[in-house]
Amino acid sequence: MSTTLFWLAVGALLWLIGLHGLLTLRDALRRIIAINLMGSGVFLVMIALAARVVPSDPVLVALVVTGLVVAVSATALALRLAGSAERGKSS
Amino acid sequence: MNLALLSLTLPLVGALLLILLRPAGGRWVIMINLASTLAAAGALHQVMQTGTQWLELGGWQAPLAIRFQLSPLAALLLLFTAGLHLLVALYAARSRHAIGGEDFWPLSCLLQAALAALWLSGDLFNLYVTLELLSLAAVALVALAGAKAYRPALNYLLLSLAGSLAYLFGVALLYGRYGVLDIALLSELAEADVTTRLALLLMSLGLMLKAALWPLHLWLPPAHAGAPAAVSALLSALVVKGPLYILWLLWSRIAPVELAQSAGGLFAVAGIFALLCGGWSALRAPYLKTLVAYSTVAQLGYALLALGLLLRWQEPSLSAALWLFVLAHGLAKVSMFLAAGELQYTLGSKRVRALKGASQTMPLALFAFAVAGGSLIGLPPSGGFLAKWLLLQPLFQQPQHWPWAIGVLLGTLASAAYVFRVVALGFDRARPTPASFHPDRLAQWLAMLPALLVWCLALISKPLLLWIGGVSQ
Amino acid sequence: MTEWLLDAVLALLLLALAGGALHARNRYAGVLLFIAFGLVLALIWARLGAPDLALAEAAIGAGLTGVLLLAALARQPAGSGAEGVSFARHRLAAAAVLVPLLMILLQGLDPLAEQRSPLPELATGALGQSGVSHPVTAVLLNYRAWDTLLELAVLLLALLGARQLGPARFEVERPWPLLRAWSRSLAPLLLLAGGYLLWSGSSAPGGAFQAGSLLAAGVVLLRLAGVLPALRWSFWPLRLLVLLGLLLFLAVAIACAWFGAGWLVYPDGWAKPLILVIEVAATLSIAASLSLLVVGEAREASA
Repeated sequence: MSTTLFWLAVGALLWLIGLHGLLTLRDALRRIIAINLMGSGVFLVMIALAARVVPSDPVLVALVVTGLVVAVSATALALRLAGSAERGKSS
Repeated sequence: MNLALLSLTLPLVGALLLILLRPAGGRWVIMINLASTLAAAGALHQVMQTGTQWLELGGWQAPLAIRFQLSPLAALLLLFTAGLHLLVALYAARSRHAIGGEDFWPLSCLLQAALAALWLSGDLFNLYVTLELLSLAAVALVALAGAKAYRPALNYLLLSLAGSLAYLFGVALLYGRYGVLDIALLSELAEADVTTRLALLLMSLGLMLKAALWPLHLWLPPAHAGAPAAVSALLSALVVKGPLYILWLLWSRIAPVELAQSAGGLFAVAGIFALLCGGWSALRAPYLKTLVAYSTVAQLGYALLALGLLLRWQEPSLSAALWLFVLAHGLAKVSMFLAAGELQYTLGSKRVRALKGASQTMPLALFAFAVAGGSLIGLPPSGGFLAKWLLLQPLFQQPQHWPWAIGVLLGTLASAAYVFRVVALGFDRARPTPASFHPDRLAQWLAMLPALLVWCLALISKPLLLWIGGVSQ
Repeated sequence: MTEWLLDAVLALLLLALAGGALHARNRYAGVLLFIAFGLVLALIWARLGAPDLALAEAAIGAGLTGVLLLAALARQPAGSGAEGVSFARHRLAAAAVLVPLLMILLQGLDPLAEQRSPLPELATGALGQSGVSHPVTAVLLNYRAWDTLLELAVLLLALLGARQLGPARFEVERPWPLLRAWSRSLAPLLLLAGGYLLWSGSSAPGGAFQAGSLLAAGVVLLRLAGVLPALRWSFWPLRLLVLLGLLLFLAVAIACAWFGAGWLVYPDGWAKPLILVIEVAATLSIAASLSLLVVGEAREASA
């Protein structure tokens, strides 16, 4: 098994762990973490693909940087929503 | 191309200026939308004459840069987006209760810009960014409704993100396999191997989740029903169509024919199920807006069915049916949600039962609802009828296709049933629900406007059919 | 052999932390494990030859997301969020499905190890005309600048969405004196580091997003220490700061289309200064948006 394939597999597994968490967990905070794990899984797949050449494929690296910022923006909104929803429920 | 860019930039710049300067939003947004609509109409006119135009952003060659693709269909969708935003803005400027807050205005402009960017983009990763933009705008708009909408909004956001990530996984696979992201280049390279199949599967599942296509539709009714009326109208008419467009691009452009044919059957079956399940749930919905939201699920079934059969038989004429469904449904659904919002607000109750006797208290709004419903059912001579006719034509030609026609028929019956459920209640004049305050006539007229437009589509049916057949190929 | 060992250890650690972050008994532990997960991931990016991403992950992925998660925990009532035992059984059953799914994914991923893309060569080949010497920055701000522009819009939308939810409660009653003293010396350092990252982005790993999140960290720190006044959305310079990156980027795009060769086509010789200006503006906007997202805004008097 090559290094690329190894990291591709780790990325896929990470994506699946996130998906599983998202579908089976109830707590909003944990589900948001699960989404982030899914994202990291995809990014890992992309970077493993980028590392097939030396130096790494700059296009994929740039795409992942973009993806990371998109992910953190969405996470921030989701966390605020979760907090407000929970507060609304408890009061 | 410049006009199309204008139609995209106007709302984007407008939104930023609205946020920065904070003027009273309504009037400005109507002007922005009007200008954007005109620009889109100009772009459509141009592109009909010259054919599909390409723009390489940044001046770099295609695999390196992102390309904009202005096909006639993209131009039509641009016009449709800007026009619907204009119609909604006209209503929203009149009915302050339908928007939930002053931030509605910049957000709706950003939504329009996101959609325009989506229609124009010809790059798989750029489409991912526009999808995220679209869902964040939609979630922010849903959250305008206040605390009770937070939970549906959160659910919407999480599922939408999961859908995006499934899509992104597919994009990564395609890039890993073929080394490019440009759709036109991919369509030349794509082969029916195991990686492509997996990528298409992941992307389709993600997009179906985002477009609320059966069986991944469960997040839609609470989110669309919980939003303010003007927002629900935009979400149902436009936002779910974005992922649908990408799905169509994927399967009709990139996917190899043998894969598309086998997937087409599945899409068509899912479409039939959407029609039946959505219709049934709409029939039993206790709240008016939930009913309308379920009707969106059902109507998306028609689009999915058209897409599926288009792929299965590789029948290009069905492409016209698909996009006509999208147009007709968009117009009718805007009207329906606005009318529902107006009824719900004036009668002071969300329940369907509260509509008792609405033909007396609010005849105009009820009429708007019925007119829009007529197009959803597919009564001639509405836009909905035209679309359904286009869909049924190839079905009737061969006897082995009749089972699909039966599915369409059942779906039609279901939609007739839920529309009549509302209208019949409205004509029940014994002990009508009194209006909480004086109904706003102008707002009701504005709500009816899109529904009238969808019936006008039928007046120009012959040139429209010829033309849309040309556009969508 | 040692490389294999390193890879295996990193991967195992990563997966274990991921599992722990999701399924830890208490949420606080979960969040801490998630932050650790981000740091391990940053190591992996460095190992896979993507130092840009390692920086971004450490600053944005682990740092900022971690702060956001901790802030969310602080806002939520304690004791909620326990998962029932019956769900635990469901989860275990559902995990059994993961193995066949992983097999399917692996089948699709397997042929990819051998494929090559033409893009890296094109990207390095065009580097001479792109105005910067670091390929990742060239992709972000020249070849695929449209993505970056839209990404700034995504950040803006997240902020607008969060605004709908009312002011965030992120107040520290009485800041610790130590934090106050520390923040005074730490904040200028963060500013300096952010500026350096921004500047070096044109030739080495670094760039607007990494720099922006460092600056945001500085702002958050100062706010926590009570040195900085509450941020008010009604204060127009703040709004301008948030919008600056996007406005400037759009202005450049429109000017290029109007006067020059086309949408986002930088004129000859102007690429470097334009990219630099856009990057500076974007950094400021990102810093402002991110700090608003973390500390929230003060309640508005008028609205």
